[in-house]
Amino acid sequence: MSDDVILETEGLQLAYGAFMAVDGVSLRIRRGTIHAVIGPNGAGKTSTFHCLTGERRPTGGRVLFEGREVTRKPANARVGLGMARSFQLTSLFQNLSVRENLRVAAQGRDGARALTFWRPAESRREHLAVADEILERLALTARADTAAGDLSHGQQRVLEVGMALAARPRLLLLDEPTSGMGVDDIPVMTRLIGELGREYTVMLIEHNMSIVMSISDTITVMHQGKVLVEGPPEVVRADARVRSAYLGEAA
Amino acid sequence: MADARSMTPAPAAAATAPAAGPSLLRGITLLTVAAVIVLPLVLPSTTLAAEILIFAMAALACNLLLGYTGLLSFGQGIFFGGGAYVASLLMIHLGAGLFTALVGAMVFGAAVAAVVGALAIRRTGIYFVMLTLAFSQMAYFVAYTLSDWTGGDNGLLDVPRPPVAIAGATLVDLSDPAVYYAFVAVLFVAVFVAARRIIHSPFGSTLVAIRENEGRAAALGYDTRQFKILAFSLSGAITGLAGALYAMLLNFAPLSNIELVMSEHILIMTIIGGTGSLFGSILGAAGIVLLGDLLSAVWPRWMMLLGIVLIGVVIFMRGGLWGGVESLYDTIRARRAHRRTAP
Repeated sequence: MSDDVILETEGLQLAYGAFMAVDGVSLRIRRGTIHAVIGPNGAGKTSTFHCLTGERRPTGGRVLFEGREVTRKPANARVGLGMARSFQLTSLFQNLSVRENLRVAAQGRDGARALTFWRPAESRREHLAVADEILERLALTARADTAAGDLSHGQQRVLEVGMALAARPRLLLLDEPTSGMGVDDIPVMTRLIGELGREYTVMLIEHNMSIVMSISDTITVMHQGKVLVEGPPEVVRADARVRSAYLGEAA
Repeated sequence: MADARSMTPAPAAAATAPAAGPSLLRGITLLTVAAVIVLPLVLPSTTLAAEILIFAMAALACNLLLGYTGLLSFGQGIFFGGGAYVASLLMIHLGAGLFTALVGAMVFGAAVAAVVGALAIRRTGIYFVMLTLAFSQMAYFVAYTLSDWTGGDNGLLDVPRPPVAIAGATLVDLSDPAVYYAFVAVLFVAVFVAARRIIHSPFGSTLVAIRENEGRAAALGYDTRQFKILAFSLSGAITGLAGALYAMLLNFAPLSNIELVMSEHILIMTIIGGTGSLFGSILGAAGIVLLGDLLSAVWPRWMMLLGIVLIGVVIFMRGGLWGGVESLYDTIRARRAHRRTAP
């Protein structure tokens, strides 16, 4: 496989009993791109995502990250390799401060090294430095000492993405980053993802078509567990099958 | 008592803010040293004071699991009773000295806790709690059955209290209750400082993260099972030490050490004292031991009152006794500040 593919799936399958949620999906996510997976409800986007993060073990096919097989690696072991994810439903440490959320996230990358129980947490300055850097980038520095649960919904969504960033990943997996966001907050998130796309490889699942069309380099449209169309936004937008399967559904 | 998470009150300041680290650490440690010095002076007997510190040690270990990791374990009695038996047997049958016996109890406590923990955390929530209960019952029957070793119902009699000795030379004889108290007190402060250190370590901050949101912690790269097992081990080691000290205090290791009631007792002390605050564990242990001591003399059914106290604390003082102390302190400070600003 070529070097510019960071994540690849070969004939990925995920079956729930007789139902095939993911049915032979082969994806190639190129390094340095923003790759969106879209599709109507039940198309298998989330199931595919779960196979990529390690939350679910595929019932068939393979997942390769930077040429390494990770199909059976548990979710936590993938972080150390350079994959990090965000959640569709905000999943933060609600009672911990925003900075502590990010510090713990930065520390997670080191995996078992955090088992040291005889040294103060602050001794690992680099984790705090990463946390502060991300606070700045998310424009949350002023709220650093606020409990994460006290942030506005929009800020929580931004922090949700920041948690994945703190792992210093090479591939960011974002699960519906604008989910539940108000109209006013969506541009902030769109801009953030666009910016991240310049430094990271980003793979996202998204419902919101306008975001996907404006920031993605490649779009994969899924339908009934299979890849329907894949290509740059203008191709996908023009494709008649996408119109009937996805866009048509809305009309 | 089913859901471990709902038993964990909104985390107290100590649990949430490693940022407030060093100065707070020193303050609470000083408070602990002061408490340890004052206890024998205000109490009628040093034996009672020693009993309080021993149970405070067990409650503190329980707190590491319940308050910081969010694990409601009914297995604490296994480690307490196990530590008591192992230390006693090492001394009785192998002529082990003080430190060998104590270290033996700690190693045994840590090992058993690692096994119990590793199996119990395969399930979460109510099933986890049920598994710790099952282990607790099993341990009791094992101790009961092995009566040749444990003395069964009669308990293990004539447990010695060896002196502090180096290479056979006696340094401090511990047979005087006051001297034994001092020995327990030194160990208690050491354990307390170590526990605070653990809580403020990368490991401790990860435990809090697991308590707050285990799914996210796993997604961040933590193998949460490893962390829980290590938490169990540390808790087991401290509880085992407490059990050994208790056997030496009584010169006797009763079967009740390993009964389910012991686990309950330790849990109740932890909750009444305040989960998520190590100093709270001292308050909880002191409260329960004293209540038992005072009331059992006048009324054999004093456990009923304990139930009322527990209900009261759980309903009205979400942060336990320590939470009550904290809010009192805040109120007084706010009033003072108010008085200063208002002419």
